[in-house]
Amino acid sequence: MKKASGNKIRLGIFVSIGFALLIGCIYLIGERQQLFSNTFQVSGIFKNISGLQIGNNVRFSGINVGIVDNIEQLTDTTVKVDMMINDDTRKFMKKNAKAIIGSDGLMGNKIVIITPGTNGQKTLADNDVIATEQPVTMDDILIKLKVTGDNAATITSDLAVVMTNIREGKGTIGKLLMDTAMAKEVDQALTNIKQGAGGFKQNMNAASNNVLLRGYFKKKKKGDEKDKK
Amino acid sequence: MLQPSLLLNKHVTNIKFEMLANSKTSNKIDSKKVSPSSENSFGKTLKDFFEEVTLLTRFTMRFFRELIKPPYEFNEFLKQSYLIGYKSLPLIAITGFIMGLVLTIQSRPTLAQFGAESWLPAMVAVSIIREIGPVVTALIFAGKVGSGIGAELASMKVTEQIDAMEVSGINPFKYLVVTRILSATLMLPILVIMSDVISLYGAYIGVNLQGDVSFNLFIVKIFDKLVFTDIFPAVIKTFFFGFVVALLGCYKGYNSSKGTEGVAVAANTSVVYASLMIFILDMIAVQITSLFI
Repeated sequence: MKKASGNKIRLGIFVSIGFALLIGCIYLIGERQQLFSNTFQVSGIFKNISGLQIGNNVRFSGINVGIVDNIEQLTDTTVKVDMMINDDTRKFMKKNAKAIIGSDGLMGNKIVIITPGTNGQKTLADNDVIATEQPVTMDDILIKLKVTGDNAATITSDLAVVMTNIREGKGTIGKLLMDTAMAKEVDQALTNIKQGAGGFKQNMNAASNNVLLRGYFKKKKKGDEKDKK
Repeated sequence: MLQPSLLLNKHVTNIKFEMLANSKTSNKIDSKKVSPSSENSFGKTLKDFFEEVTLLTRFTMRFFRELIKPPYEFNEFLKQSYLIGYKSLPLIAITGFIMGLVLTIQSRPTLAQFGAESWLPAMVAVSIIREIGPVVTALIFAGKVGSGIGAELASMKVTEQIDAMEVSGINPFKYLVVTRILSATLMLPILVIMSDVISLYGAYIGVNLQGDVSFNLFIVKIFDKLVFTDIFPAVIKTFFFGFVVALLGCYKGYNSSKGTEGVAVAANTSVVYASLMIFILDMIAVQITSLFI
């Protein structure tokens, strides 16, 4: 009899712990979904929500403050997103706050990020509609990457033509680099210039010793010495 | 008082009859061996299967009839709940702990390849709560409780204890079957919840074997990814698992025959059919859940 009573107590404890664990789990999940806290609702109207889903997090200053409560297609180009936000953060959110759809890491879920707005503005009220910014989608990035890639392809194609011409000795740079006859001519021209410069030096020495020009060179020499002093 | 010669004659006659009967039986067996027809064999198997389905359905309907009809065997129900639920906890707890620990250790290298080790608690939690916890716990439950019920009822049947209960005015179905099925149906969900929690503790230890995650962060990461649609379908399906395990155990045990051999067969088939039914029910539950998510 005593044993049976002890077994019933053990069974009662076992069942109670089981129920307590289940209720604890439900409470923790419900708390995350703002079921047991005071909330207020704000909405944002987007052109594209980039795969945002009901239940995704709403972040303010990097903190999860709410969840996406409802998503409704208004027209063919506008989607209304209702957000349930914890009432404690309402005082920091101003009327000119903006909602932006972002991503939780590279592979993470979509989230709504709310910017605080500027000081001096009134705080948000229940059922307010806040301004939104169009998110940068993966498609946008891919389109820009495509344009960049096309430009790079055109540039490399032009560069290839230029290099081919240079290699074939076409154009000034091509001739300069690839034409051996021209290289000889340039070499000859440089030799001629060198010889011409030598002759010119002799002429100038002769002129400095000439009777007519000697005075000029002496004056110039004295002027230079004065400047040095 | 019979004369010794008459007794001897009677004994000899009995032996002759037994030999005749044995020879007839062996002839029957031989004739079966000589002309086996695969088509007939398949047809017989199919016929047996449908017969079994009909009997099981009648057994289930009888359970529901007896369940709602007073008097209620409340004390026996509590005793069975204690034996089926509380007494299964140590086994379930050990397997649950190992399950969480091993799953975490095995998942870490794959997630580390993607640099997503921080997802480990959430991934393990969703796997355990949605699928692995309920199914593995139910299978262990089938092995322990299903076979126990099958063997117990079968031995009661072959030793004619069930017939004796009927004679003494106790409804054996209500006393033995209803209480066991009801207890198993209600106890398995509680065992699964406890197994899930213990598995998650094992996962916490698994995460901290090669990393450093605080208990608070671990809990936050788990409940950040869990939603009600992870918890409720997983808990609801365990009621069906518990029901099926006990129903098949009771059915096989209650309808057992062929002496001690029948006890072994009842225990064995209870576990095998219960395990199969757990997987079939799980597949149906997943399909139904996916319609609403």
